[in-house]
Amino acid sequence: MMVHVDNLTKRFRGTLAVDRLTMQIPTGEIYGFVGANGAGKTTTMRIIAGLLKPTSGKVYVNGVDVSKEPLEVKRNIGYMPDFFGVYDDLKVSEYMNFYAGLQGISKSKTAELADSLLQLVRLTEKREAYVDSLSRGMKQRLCLARSLIHDPKFLILDEPASGLDPRARVEMKEILKELRSMGKTVLISSHILPELSELCTAIGIIDSGRLVASGSVSEVVEKMSQSGRVKIKVADREEEAVKVMMEMPGIGSISSVAGVIEVNVSGGNEEYVRILRTLVEKDIPVISFQPIEGSLESVFMHLTERGNGNEN
Amino acid sequence: MRINPILEKDLKTKLRGWRSTILICCYVILLIGILFLYFASNNIFNPYNTHNFNPRMAMDAYNLIITFQFALLFLAVPAITATSVSSERERQTLDLMLVTKTPVRKIIVGKIMVSLAHTMLLLIASMPVIGVVFFFGGIGFLDIIKLLLFYVLTSFFVASCGVFFSTVFKRNIVAIITTYIFLGLITFGPFILFLVLGLVRERYSYTGFSPVYRDFVSALFPSSVFGFTSFYISGSSYSMYYGYYSPGIFSEVAQEIEQQRMASTGLWKLLHPWLANGLFNVVASISLIFLSARILNPIHRKK
Repeated sequence: MMVHVDNLTKRFRGTLAVDRLTMQIPTGEIYGFVGANGAGKTTTMRIIAGLLKPTSGKVYVNGVDVSKEPLEVKRNIGYMPDFFGVYDDLKVSEYMNFYAGLQGISKSKTAELADSLLQLVRLTEKREAYVDSLSRGMKQRLCLARSLIHDPKFLILDEPASGLDPRARVEMKEILKELRSMGKTVLISSHILPELSELCTAIGIIDSGRLVASGSVSEVVEKMSQSGRVKIKVADREEEAVKVMMEMPGIGSISSVAGVIEVNVSGGNEEYVRILRTLVEKDIPVISFQPIEGSLESVFMHLTERGNGNEN
Repeated sequence: MRINPILEKDLKTKLRGWRSTILICCYVILLIGILFLYFASNNIFNPYNTHNFNPRMAMDAYNLIITFQFALLFLAVPAITATSVSSERERQTLDLMLVTKTPVRKIIVGKIMVSLAHTMLLLIASMPVIGVVFFFGGIGFLDIIKLLLFYVLTSFFVASCGVFFSTVFKRNIVAIITTYIFLGLITFGPFILFLVLGLVRERYSYTGFSPVYRDFVSALFPSSVFGFTSFYISGSSYSMYYGYYSPGIFSEVAQEIEQQRMASTGLWKLLHPWLANGLFNVVASISLIFLSARILNPIHRKK
């Protein structure tokens, strides 16, 4: 287990930012951390990175207690916050050299390491450029390279794609895929939910400082979806099909356009079977019957309906 | 082994380009200008003035230059260090440093070393100017070495104060102002107290200041002005020989302190003001480094 968070609580002058949060991230996992602004994502990530003292609870990274052996933990952690944190008056190579020094990497190894990381983040040609001349996306990638300079086993990426244009997002996504193939364990928070669901092997949904769901994307979506949705295509008798379904229990809203009917259904597969059987029994000419899978986005929107909490 | 990465980075960025070179040149030219004006005002460049040279004049020129440097040290070092941590915080780079495996203490020391390096650079650049007084005699090489050591120890303390307040306060401006106020109090506070107590004693005692040194010296330890008195007079071997010459109250007090020290016995006699203040500076600086590291350490921070 790379990360084990046990009953973590953090209070800021009476405000509860993280509330008895318990989560585990197995080694090699890309764990997406989903939650509205102020849900407690950044606070949790900062505590895991050893940048904040928890009010109570324990955090272990690679089996090491963060509050007892912070330096040992820092050897294994690469942290990329949701801001750039760059020195504009340094060149890209000097920036990498500076953080290599802070990570205790010898000068002889630094140049080679920096080159390979700049290659990974596609900034090789900017090696001698000043940091302030880089675009937003480039700065973000440079920060990612910086967080990898000491070859950490575990990466914490707080909103790595925020503020980036679509192209820069795609580039960031490609880099994260490479990190996944390198076997890194990654904890990533993002508002770009479709990207998260594609990238992550597991996700956790945090709301008001509490982890409300955790598991693989499909598991969480299934667990959190309150109702299913099914798309039915009929060859004829569309109005009759709608009328039949409206009389059935457990049916929510129905919409129909040009022979395609979309129905909200409370319940799972059994309910779908019952609808299809009824339509066939009523001799409705059904061409196709397709349950629509729930998305991470819809789950997130549902969970964060209240969601304009305070930033923490 | 690598040098402290913070020192390396700051020196690289601050010394890059012509700005710092121009600043150092301006500083040296300013020192030369002060010296030139002083000698010119004392008619030393007059070719007909061959019979009226007072070697004390060189001493006073020396005093003038080192006082200027001393004051500059108190003005410049806090400006560099009192923003050292708060500016990292404002730039949002502090967390990135704290998340590395460099211990917080080493980050603090790196910040202090940056200002010490700048101070050393300015002091070394000014050496040829101070060296002019060697032509006139009266100042020994050892006096200069002691003065340099005193400046370094004082810079160490001033820088530690700056970094400490920079860790305490989040905003640059608050950190700078607090540092200046604190340094003003600790530098001049004990000295003013000493003067007041000394004058009170003098008024009500037939023995003048005595035995001021033993009575009040420990209270004066924190004052760098007290330490500075060693150089204002102790380098002046001529001042005793040629008799009393007073450029002001500070010289009188410096002379009084020196006389009291000479009159003391045992360890007190060995404890020159610069040495006493230097020892205080070292102890206080180390304490401030530990305190700063504790405040900055995320594991101890509340927020």
